[in-house]
Amino acid sequence: MTPEEREALIEAVTTAHRTIDPFTRMADGHPAFHDLDDEGRRIAYERTLVTRTVERALDPRGLSTTARAVVARLRRRLDDIR
Amino acid sequence: MSTVDLDAHLAAIAAGDPDAFERWVAGAEHPLRVSLHSFATRVDVEAVVQEGLLRAWNVAPRIVHDGAPNALLRTTLRIVRNLAIDEVRRARSVAIDDDELDESLRFATFEAMPDPLLREAIHRCSEQLPPRPRAALGARIASEGAEHDRTLASRLGMELNTFLQNFTRARKLLADCLRGRGFDLGDLA
Repeated sequence: MTPEEREALIEAVTTAHRTIDPFTRMADGHPAFHDLDDEGRRIAYERTLVTRTVERALDPRGLSTTARAVVARLRRRLDDIR
Repeated sequence: MSTVDLDAHLAAIAAGDPDAFERWVAGAEHPLRVSLHSFATRVDVEAVVQEGLLRAWNVAPRIVHDGAPNALLRTTLRIVRNLAIDEVRRARSVAIDDDELDESLRFATFEAMPDPLLREAIHRCSEQLPPRPRAALGARIASEGAEHDRTLASRLGMELNTFLQNFTRARKLLADCLRGRGFDLGDLA
């Protein structure tokens, strides 16, 4: 793996987008996470902390992309029930 | 910064109000993520945080106040810790010692953030970003975690790697700008 490829994997993990397992209905781990070494995973975690802080600051309701993804999932579930 | 009690939203959440849950999530996400730092090399913390937040909605009606603040947050801290442990065991990863587990329970109270001055600084600095890094940052925020980076990159006319490089650049430039205004994003971790 080149440094550039590793860097791309680290940045890919920082997104809030996670696929939902159709059977368990739980969020899957990001594929890029599993391709990273421990140090790459630690860097991805720390970058995500910073990124979510930036997102909360830029959002009118103080929500990160993680928060918005979770609330959207909840609202879809509630819509399905109703 | 001030300590906040997110249980101000608990009664409404327990009654089924998703707007109240949204306000609770806005405050709960950061301490939950920080509590999982010792798991960062073994589980995808983002997936665990998202799952834990959703389960908080399910357990909220059963929360019994014990007189201390943030009862729902404290319960959710245990939920995400147990989810992380389950994931570690499922992956047959390295064993976790009890000290690490206890450490994740330290976050029963927390400070509201980002503070107004930091928010203002982030706004100012984001406005100064060059167009392409700013577009990458804005695309992820606008997608609200609902779309793959490949989709966002395509919409911006970028290759995926170029999109990711621009996102990296956006964060670095923001960090540099904020440092110039007296804020160190590294301190927030």
